[in-house]
Amino acid sequence: MTKSVVALQSSYRVSEPDLIARVVAGDRIAARELYDAHASRVFRLAFRLTGDADLAREFTQDTFVRAFSQLSRFRGDAALSTWLHRITVTVVANAMRKVKRFRERETDLEDVHPIGSEGPGVDPVLRERLHRAIDALPDIYRTTVIMHDIEGYTHTEIAEVLGVAEGTCKSRLSQARAQLRATLADLAPEFES
Amino acid sequence: MTDDRFDELMRDAAQTYNRPPDAPLDEMWGAVERTAWDAAPTARAPLFSMRAPGWAIAATLIVGIGLGRASLMLNRATPAQATIQTPSVVSTVASVRADSSAAEPYEAETSRYLGQTAALLIALPSEVRAGRADDQFVARAGELLTRTRLLLDSPAANDPSMRSLLDDLELVLAQVVRLQNNGTSRTELDLINRALEQRDVIPRLRTAVADNSAN
Repeated sequence: MTKSVVALQSSYRVSEPDLIARVVAGDRIAARELYDAHASRVFRLAFRLTGDADLAREFTQDTFVRAFSQLSRFRGDAALSTWLHRITVTVVANAMRKVKRFRERETDLEDVHPIGSEGPGVDPVLRERLHRAIDALPDIYRTTVIMHDIEGYTHTEIAEVLGVAEGTCKSRLSQARAQLRATLADLAPEFES
Repeated sequence: MTDDRFDELMRDAAQTYNRPPDAPLDEMWGAVERTAWDAAPTARAPLFSMRAPGWAIAATLIVGIGLGRASLMLNRATPAQATIQTPSVVSTVASVRADSSAAEPYEAETSRYLGQTAALLIALPSEVRAGRADDQFVARAGELLTRTRLLLDSPAANDPSMRSLLDDLELVLAQVVRLQNNGTSRTELDLINRALEQRDVIPRLRTAVADNSAN
């Protein structure tokens, strides 16, 4: 179904709880509306976590398939976006363990994370080193850094998505940043603290 | 100063680290729709049609999960315990046992899934060699990949050998799905074949199909 068809058939806007109720009742148009409202952000998060368009697409699809099959159990305690992003992080974490196991057999992974062209003020070597340092962080730190520093989630949002206390989230971010600075220390000695 | 420089670097990372492309919204929705409803993407299609295999798959898996949990609870009761059950519990047990035929949709789905996956993987080498690993073939692999994951979350994965098989199938199907964008290169096919051979996937799949059919 194309977006235009959805647009034609959705002649009025409804609140998210109403939309959820309609999806649970079997309304596929409402499902598409819900998808359109959240899919871009889910895809962004999946791509930031995987660095691979195919995987991000696959994990976004999985997120929504799972979400639609479990939507009747969504009680609205958290925002729907939080619930969706929690599914995304879980889907990515579970699947990436297997992807990494498979990739270990491949030999040349040098081009997995192409460097973007923006940010001309930053030394490309330093940038590349930072990217690799982020890749190398333990998953709980990496996810926190990506969500907070890269994607701009608040500590409250991250804590809800990851199911941890806000303080834990802040502590993880602090630890992660310390590890990144330590990794960059030989290239930028002033980072050593 | 140090903090400023590090913050500058992190701001740069927000622009450059795994910078997402535009999300292929319609393409992804197509896959979600196929899996969740498996119906033609037309405006007049019946909503959540119970005849749609995708929805039926989800429904039978949910039934399977419920029955799996019920049977686990029943299996924990020893025969001696069963004889001292209160009448209400005994009647519940009896009714669940009498309704064991309700497990058939779940078993049938597992069996159907295994058969379809075997057919796809057996056809894979010739399809790729003939340059026929087209969108439809890859889309089929994508659907099977999602069903694999649903089965991994279901009681079917309680059996360690089945879980191991499903884990390996997930890995292989994910590689097949990646053929769509990466093209059917010799390297990609070699990787898939190596995964199939190293883990004896096809023979184990055939055995599982035979076992399920026998049950």
